[in-house]
Amino acid sequence: MTVLTGILIGLATGVVFGFVLEKARVFEPGVIVGQMQLRSFIMLKMFLTAVITGLVVLAVLNGAFGVPLHLKPLVWQADIIGGLILGAGIALAGACPGTALAQLGAGYRDAIFIVLGGIAGAVFYGYFDERITAFFAEKGARLSFDQLAGLPFWMVALGTAVVLALFLVVLERMTPWRGEIGENVDGVPPEHGIEDAASTRAPHHA
Amino acid sequence: MPSLGDKAWSPYVAGLIVGLLQIPTFLLMNTALGASSSFVTVGAHLASVVDPQVAQIKYFASHMAGAKNWWQVAVVVGIAIGAFLSMTLSGARRPAVSAVWARAMGVTSFSARAPIAFLAGFAMLFGARIAGGCTSGHGISGIAQLSIGSTVAVVAMFAGGMLVANLFFKRI
Repeated sequence: MTVLTGILIGLATGVVFGFVLEKARVFEPGVIVGQMQLRSFIMLKMFLTAVITGLVVLAVLNGAFGVPLHLKPLVWQADIIGGLILGAGIALAGACPGTALAQLGAGYRDAIFIVLGGIAGAVFYGYFDERITAFFAEKGARLSFDQLAGLPFWMVALGTAVVLALFLVVLERMTPWRGEIGENVDGVPPEHGIEDAASTRAPHHA
Repeated sequence: MPSLGDKAWSPYVAGLIVGLLQIPTFLLMNTALGASSSFVTVGAHLASVVDPQVAQIKYFASHMAGAKNWWQVAVVVGIAIGAFLSMTLSGARRPAVSAVWARAMGVTSFSARAPIAFLAGFAMLFGARIAGGCTSGHGISGIAQLSIGSTVAVVAMFAGGMLVANLFFKRI
């Protein structure tokens, strides 16, 4: 494939991705912070729906048509330490690496600095890649849950999709997404929480 | 039915569409959806302007050329374009800085937010490159492939995010 074809497919994919990220408000710092403080669950709902759809899509593509999967290796220390640092960054950015670009497109100007910081972080890693990988010294087998269970991928994928879907049904019943989105569709709840806190404090000042 | 001019869609509709994007990605590009390695591709080319040795470093060299690397750069550029289109159609204009930062961190000005945003971006991509993927590659794609490594990485991401948001942010 030529680089140009790849770029055109990428642009088409990205425009759809960015469009629905904006519509679901999952690029909103208020939605990400709300998720991490377990106050709202819009991010988890979209994330798990994308996972469920992916599980069904890949169960068909891999199970019926033999399309190969692209598993990342299991490297315990790198996955945990890298994941923790990435997660801390996600909370502070109010974005993921991909949604930072959606923030930029939607008009949050501080996202320029998230993207520039991201490029700097990626380059910094690149210079130390050899030393970091040598430090962890993990071989990293490409392990998956279906291999662990000794069952075909499509079977475990569809089973997992059903379990996750049931979880989302319960979650949505407990906390509907419309109630989490905020008046200004930015995931930030109204201020009355603060007034409540002030009124409960009031007697101490009296 | 969701319309293109809506300010907000159900997260389930949006998640379904993102999941379907795995079809063209696996069939046409022979890879899974991801976002974070594009930062290496762009960063390596920018770094090569000041450091001609960059292309000699294996990690950078493997991210600098080829359809797959530029495909992912195009994906993240497309994300910005798609978000801009959606925002324009709905008129959900955003301020320079989200209102959440005043509530959670007491940060009200752009100049106070900018350095935090830079450090946040740095941590995100440094961590993502250690773990070998982000919320897209490990999250949306890795878990959909039942990868154990990706599941471990995603649990760590949420743990890291929840630690910071609950220890250092004001509860909203």
